[in-house]
This record gives sequence, C-alpha cells and structure tokens, in this order.
Amino acid sequence: MKILIVDDFSTMRRIIKNLLRDLGFNNTIEADDGLTALPILNAGGVDFLVTDWNMPGMQGIDLLKTVRADPKLATLPVLMVTAETKREQIIEAAQAGVNGYIVKPFTAATLKEKIEKIFERINAQ
Amino acid sequence: MEALNKTEQLEAARALINAIEQDDEDRIKTELMALTNARESALFQQIGKLTRELHEALNNFKVDARLVDLTHNAMPDTRDRLNYVIQITEEAAHKTLGYIDKTLPLANELKQSAAMLNESWQRFRNREMSATEFRDLSREIEAYLPVVTMHAGEIHNNLSEMTLAQGFQDLTGQVLRQVIGLVEEVETNLVKLVKVAGQSQQTGETNIVDPLKAEGPQINAKNKPNVVNNQDDVDDLLSSLGF
Repeated sequence: MKILIVDDFSTMRRIIKNLLRDLGFNNTIEADDGLTALPILNAGGVDFLVTDWNMPGMQGIDLLKTVRADPKLATLPVLMVTAETKREQIIEAAQAGVNGYIVKPFTAATLKEKIEKIFERINAQ
Repeated sequence: MEALNKTEQLEAARALINAIEQDDEDRIKTELMALTNARESALFQQIGKLTRELHEALNNFKVDARLVDLTHNAMPDTRDRLNYVIQITEEAAHKTLGYIDKTLPLANELKQSAAMLNESWQRFRNREMSATEFRDLSREIEAYLPVVTMHAGEIHNNLSEMTLAQGFQDLTGQVLRQVIGLVEEVETNLVKLVKVAGQSQQTGETNIVDPLKAEGPQINAKNKPNVVNNQDDVDDLLSSLGF
C-alpha cells in the first residue's frame, strides 16, 4: 500500500507520515502541492492519496477534481486533511468525490478511524 | 448672481453716496441692497467652491473601497489572527511540555528498575546469589516485564501526541501567510492613496467573496454560521448529505 501525502507544510507531511507509520503504512511518498503530486500520481503505483486543501500552485480541491476526471486515477481513494471548515467547501469536496474529510487540528484516532472507514467501504464494493 | 467688479462696485458706491446726499430714502435702500447682494453672492460662491473641494477630497479618500474594507474589517481580523497564532503556539508548547513531563518519569522508572535487575542478574551469573534471593529476583523480573510493555506503550503514545502537537506550525504558517499578504495589500493601497493625493480617480471595485476560496484555519469560528467547529460537525454534515 503506497500512500501519497500532499501538503505544502513539511511539518504536516512529517506528522501524517509518522501517524501512518504507526498505523502500519510504511510506504509513503510526499508532494508539496497538486502540481508536484500529479506527475507522481500519473507515474502510477499510488494506492491512496492524502491531501491538504490550501496550497500554492494547485490546491487540493483541484487535485481531487483532476484525479476524478482522469480515467486512470478516478477510483483512487482520496482523504482530505485540511484547516478549511466552511460548509460550502466540505460540500464541494464531497460532491467532487472525496472519500474522507478531516479537519486540522486532528487526532491520531480520527486519522485511523477515517482511513479504516474508507477501506471498509472500498472492500464492501 | 455675478459678483460686481471694481468699476461696478465704485459706481454702486457713488450712486449710494449720491442718494444719501439727496436724502432719497428709496434709492438709498435700492443701492444698499445691490451692494449687499453682490457681496453675499461672492461669499456663496466661495462656500460653494469650498464645499465642492471638500466633497472631492472625501471622494478621493474613499477612492479604493478596499482601503475602507481593510481599515474596518481586515485590520481587526488581523489582530484576531495574530492572537490566534499566539494562542495556538502556546497551546502546542504546553501540550508538548506536558507530554514530556508525563514521559520522563516513565523513562526514569524503566532505567532504574533495569539497572537494579541488571545488578542482581550479574550477581546471579557470578554465582553470588542464594536460592532465596534468586526466587525474589525471578518475581522482580516477572513484575518488571509487563511494566516495560505498559510504559513503552505509554511512551509511544506520548511521542505520537507530541508529533501531532507540531501541527501548530502548519496552522500558524497559513495564518501568518495571510497576514503577510494583508501587509503587502495595505502597502500597495497606501502608495495608491499617495498617488491619488495629486489626481482624482474613481474605482468601483467590489469584493465578491468566493465561498470556496481557501482561507486556512478559521478564527472566531463560533461567530461564523457557515463554518463548522470540529470533526463531529464535518461528519454530521457529510452524513446529512448521504456520505
């Protein structure tokens, strides 16, 4: 299971990486915005995407839409981890096909719960 | 009514003196009135001119609606944002220090117990230990191992919490970037204002807020009806949408 973590703050990428490692996901790679994430996604091999919303270059919501619009990537599970908390934004992300939405600051338990829930749903399909 | 020029004023004055000399009450009144009107008319024109200048000056001052918005909204908002940075960094520091306080005694206890057991174990290896002492040592080791597991688990948990507490850097970084953006905007607008002092110009830009624009962490989220307060609110909203 290879997970791509996209956030413009390296501290947050490290935090998510450490938490994922605790949950048993050791294979993670990082990108600092949507524009750098896309070539990595297009190169293939990524099984799960964790992305921030507010980033320079390409924002997380646009990355999500681009992923969903690409037939090769359309089914990639996407978990958004963001400080964006406006209802319009959460609804937009849901409509764009996000699989989970975590607001910062978050807890290790929340991350675990959301990831498990995403896999439960995927496995149920 | 036009103000009288000097010749006209002199003529009117002479006509007034003439009328007084001739004791012509009616003409005195008429000439006096003509002179007063002329003076008042000039005064009104001056006031009119001043009023127009004042009006234009005020208009120029408001030339950029964004400047007014900056003063009324952005500045107080920035104060809140900077206070939020203080608050978040303080919380993160206390949280981290708190977990360090919880972790150090655990590490110390493990170290001390291990040192004691090691000493006894070496005596056992050197055959310096009686059977009774060895039974005591066995019990101590039995008691120690679950404590190691428990303490190590707790230390791991505390370290995870310390890791999470570092999320403040992302949250405050987003807020500080916005403040830097605002400072730049204020500077640009002040430069514009200085330019406007020499010439008048009109801009009618209005700010249309894009509801999807990324705003970073919400300050005073409780006072904003369109903002959720925590993960539970997000989950509720999403499940209400059928997710």
